[in-house]
Amino acid sequence: MKISLNWVKQYVDLDGLTMKDVVDALTMSGLEVGDVVDQTARYDKFVVADVVEKGKHPNADRLALCKVNDGAETLDVVCGAPNVEAGQKVAFAQVGSKLPRGGHKITKAKIRGVVSNGMICAEDELDIGDDHSGIIVLDPKLKTGTPLADALGLNDVLLEIETTPNRSDALSHYGVARDLSALFDRKLTKPTIALTEGKTPAKKFAEIAVLDPEHCPRYTATVVRGVEIKDSPDWLKNRLISIGARPINNVVDVTNFVLHEIGQPLHAFDLDRLAGKKIVVRKRKPEEKTFVTLDSQERKLDDEALMICDAERPVAVAGVMGGENSEVTPETTNVLIESAFFNPRSVRPTARKMALSTDSSYRFERGTDPDGTRWAAERAAQLIVETGGGEVAKGAIDVYPKKMKPKRVKFRSAQIKRILGYEIPKKDVVRIFRKLGFEIDDARGNDWTVLVPPFRHDIDREIDLIEEAARIYGYDLITPVERVAVPMISTVDQTAFADEIRAALSGIGFREILCNPLVSEREAELSGKSIPLQNPGTVDMSRLRTSLFAGMLSTIKRNVNVNERSLRLFEIGATFNARKDEIKSFDDFFEERRLAIAMTGDASKKTWRTEKRAYDVFDLKGALGAFSAALRLDNSLRDCYYDSGGRLFDHYFETKRGKTVVGYGGRVKREVAESFDVDQEVFFFELLIDELFAARKTDTRYAAPPRYPKVFKDAAFLLDASVKFEDVRNFIEKESSDLLKAVTLFDLFEGESIGAGKKSAALSFEFYDEGGTLTDDEVEKEFFSIIENVKTRFNAALRGGS
Amino acid sequence: MIDKIEAAKREFDHDADAVGDERALESFRVKFLSRNGIISKLFDEMKAAPNEEKPALGKALNQFRKGAEEKFTALEEKLQSDGEEDAVDLSLPGEPAFVGGKHILTQTIDSIKDIFKRMGFSVYEGPELESDYHNFEALNFPPDHPARDEQDTYFVNDKFLLRTHTSPVQIRLMQSTKPPVRAIMPGKVYRNEAINARSMNHFYQVEGLHVDTDVTFADLKSALMRFAAEFYGENSRYRFRASFFPFTEPSAEMDISCFLCGGEGCRVCKHTGWLEILGCGMVDPNVLKAVGYDPDVYSGYAFGMGVDRTALMRYAVPDIRVLYENDIRFLRQF
Ligand SMILES: [Zn+2]
Repeated sequence: MKISLNWVKQYVDLDGLTMKDVVDALTMSGLEVGDVVDQTARYDKFVVADVVEKGKHPNADRLALCKVNDGAETLDVVCGAPNVEAGQKVAFAQVGSKLPRGGHKITKAKIRGVVSNGMICAEDELDIGDDHSGIIVLDPKLKTGTPLADALGLNDVLLEIETTPNRSDALSHYGVARDLSALFDRKLTKPTIALTEGKTPAKKFAEIAVLDPEHCPRYTATVVRGVEIKDSPDWLKNRLISIGARPINNVVDVTNFVLHEIGQPLHAFDLDRLAGKKIVVRKRKPEEKTFVTLDSQERKLDDEALMICDAERPVAVAGVMGGENSEVTPETTNVLIESAFFNPRSVRPTARKMALSTDSSYRFERGTDPDGTRWAAERAAQLIVETGGGEVAKGAIDVYPKKMKPKRVKFRSAQIKRILGYEIPKKDVVRIFRKLGFEIDDARGNDWTVLVPPFRHDIDREIDLIEEAARIYGYDLITPVERVAVPMISTVDQTAFADEIRAALSGIGFREILCNPLVSEREAELSGKSIPLQNPGTVDMSRLRTSLFAGMLSTIKRNVNVNERSLRLFEIGATFNARKDEIKSFDDFFEERRLAIAMTGDASKKTWRTEKRAYDVFDLKGALGAFSAALRLDNSLRDCYYDSGGRLFDHYFETKRGKTVVGYGGRVKREVAESFDVDQEVFFFELLIDELFAARKTDTRYAAPPRYPKVFKDAAFLLDASVKFEDVRNFIEKESSDLLKAVTLFDLFEGESIGAGKKSAALSFEFYDEGGTLTDDEVEKEFFSIIENVKTRFNAALRGGS
Repeated sequence: MIDKIEAAKREFDHDADAVGDERALESFRVKFLSRNGIISKLFDEMKAAPNEEKPALGKALNQFRKGAEEKFTALEEKLQSDGEEDAVDLSLPGEPAFVGGKHILTQTIDSIKDIFKRMGFSVYEGPELESDYHNFEALNFPPDHPARDEQDTYFVNDKFLLRTHTSPVQIRLMQSTKPPVRAIMPGKVYRNEAINARSMNHFYQVEGLHVDTDVTFADLKSALMRFAAEFYGENSRYRFRASFFPFTEPSAEMDISCFLCGGEGCRVCKHTGWLEILGCGMVDPNVLKAVGYDPDVYSGYAFGMGVDRTALMRYAVPDIRVLYENDIRFLRQF
């Protein structure tokens, strides 16, 4: 919202305050000032000057060489305007000035061989209009040398104020002035209405029927007859221009002026275009499907829209925008001014469903002043007569069946200390409340009843009053209290486990990434039943991710594109899967925190001493093992189940705890990777954080490091190629005694030398006895029992052993 | 005699350990193994020993000599191979090892958590796909109120949405706990906004909440100023200016003096000299009521800060989108 400080000064005296005082006070008290435009600075080095003499330019017929007095000296100035004459007072840009429009810098310059010491300006160059046909000729009574900003009233300061949605009372110049009057303890002055009314009552010229008083609690109208529609006077135009509004004609400009003055939206109807000279406020009828607003757009009407109608048809969407069928035109002579209070709950859905936000709807949906409609209607009528003549009909038509009363709010002054931790002197609280327009029924005791006017829609509780006192008095006056002791309450950190995971993965060389949880339908449907958004921004981000897969692949793509091809990445994030087609409760979907890890590119790079090697699925398994060890997990990540990998993976495996899948993944299928524009192998694994949490070994205790020597034995078996290593290992572990501590595979090969369909697996066995040194006999017994068991169970042959 | 042999053995072991180069090895050989060396002399002395002791002494001496000769050969080989090792060009590059790390935003959240945990705050999390009730209604956003427009919301339907702030976790926490409550709640939030250098449609927030029988605005100021002093450094200035959030009353925004211009005014701070770092206020009585806390007994403050913006400021990153592109060349910098 743009606010002109000169305009605000019409209602509150700001003498003795600097611009900075005002800006700081507004910002600190809740009306945050963004941009500040100081016009005076824009018109620096522009002065009122005297054209002393007009002569011919020696080298150009169409240029004049003038002698110009700028109050300090007489200068040669070249001018090309056809209307320049000696004796004129002109707007003069001195050397060193900058044109407000375009920013051109004025220098001492030769124009067709003659030096010009400045420039006589046209309207457009000063950014006060669009005329460029000639120079602007000023009032001859102006004093030569006067700063142009002062002479033309261009000494305004314009503030861009960001109002929070609760402060509908501050959406006008008067509203801002009210806060300033409280902040600086200044008097607030509302313009007085001085109407010269005709003899005939307004009711004779128009009739008003409110059929929906719930949504339109008050409808006030004034009638002005015999008005001339024309351009507004300069003062009115300038007020509107200063805040960025476009002047249209006197009647429309007046309604706009009053809106920005007091915050009451008005609408001017051409009374003669209202059928039956009647206004009916009612809900839309089913057959009224569309409506042409005054911007000539045919708009679809919301079912619930409240309409302003004449005897036959709608003429405006209440509180949002008027209709083309009844707007004021150059031919209009009789005008009806609407000044209503619409229920915020009625205007907001209508404006939102029509995707139409106007100055009016913006204010109505936040709440206007139900007690201010009459003042605004009369103020507008008065200004219309002042600017366009005519006569105001006697009295207003005011339909206000249920007068709204001030809200009575209990206020215990001790609560200020309780909530804020500091005292505000009682006399300051009283002053602040009164300046803001509140009344206190009896300020002598400690518990008051405060009467809050209906224009403060945001105040109806004690706490709201405390805030008013605090924000005007100043938050800066609250002294922080340093409490030394922290209460001895137990603390919880629900993020601690995720942090442990991050630390573990960082430790084994993985980088954390964070991806957008909103993905395309295709990406979301790759790995689950996805949940669509009702109002997505783009199709690329129309669904919630069902897995971290798509984000990971997209990240790999982006890095491969910049030739960073060897990556070890992880992400921890929420995933969302639907259980039902429609989400009606938290049971209809599950939000799950997952961990994704991925490896792609080279496991080792070619160096002067190492050969290059690409990642394969066993690097993935190895990383999971290291991760599991770092997190001290149980065997959940070791026991794998191999399956066909569905749409996404080949070389697929899962890890389980009991029957629950803890994680899954493998090598991403080539065509899937390619669908993400990734042209290299990717190994991906996704795990459920809650399951990992359950898999933590919580009973970790000290175990003495081995005191007796370990014994290692090796054996190579000839097995059918189809036999899985893990089956062999698990079998051995299950069948052997406690002396066997580990089984590792140290060699594996298939080849013609051992026969087709066979493979040779060389295993190393680690034996150890906590109770003492193992004897050769003990080891041999155990070792041979293992060999015999494996031979029997897997139909294997021993190829060698030691 | 046998003691003498033992003593010689000890001396031999001691000297062998000290051999570091060829010259020392040669004098070591001369001392023990040459014709006039200690071992030869011991053999000479043995001749004078009583006959019945000779076999034992002979065995011991022979063992000593054999061991000494083996040791000498080993030392000789070691010295040679040491010489070879010295020939390695140690300036050759080392073998690359993997380096991992946390995302810049995680690191920023970690720093924030660290400070608040030291101040006695717990850390909680909550769901991102939330109900309208938790995200708006319980937080005192009336239905169809313009305050909802301030938070461009991604809706799943009329009842479910992507949380627009971490404040619903406050509700969940208070509903499941009795006061006192003192916690921060980090997490991802969503806004249906156009993506550009300054705005993203998803980002991180850290919410904070402290409710007890005697918590005031003055406590809010001290906790947040303590946090800011630790996080941004002791030299910054702060201000609290009035603002509006439906779930706090009174509400404020906390600004820090601009890092770039020190408060003089520059492009980054839009010529105000201040940068906004967080929103805060006293928990609205309606919120306390919604979770079953009596507002006449309990009071408290809440705050919420954007992590992304904080990280951008802290590391001078010019574009918020960079945070989520996961370009490894960017991630490696932090
Ligand atoms: Zn700055």
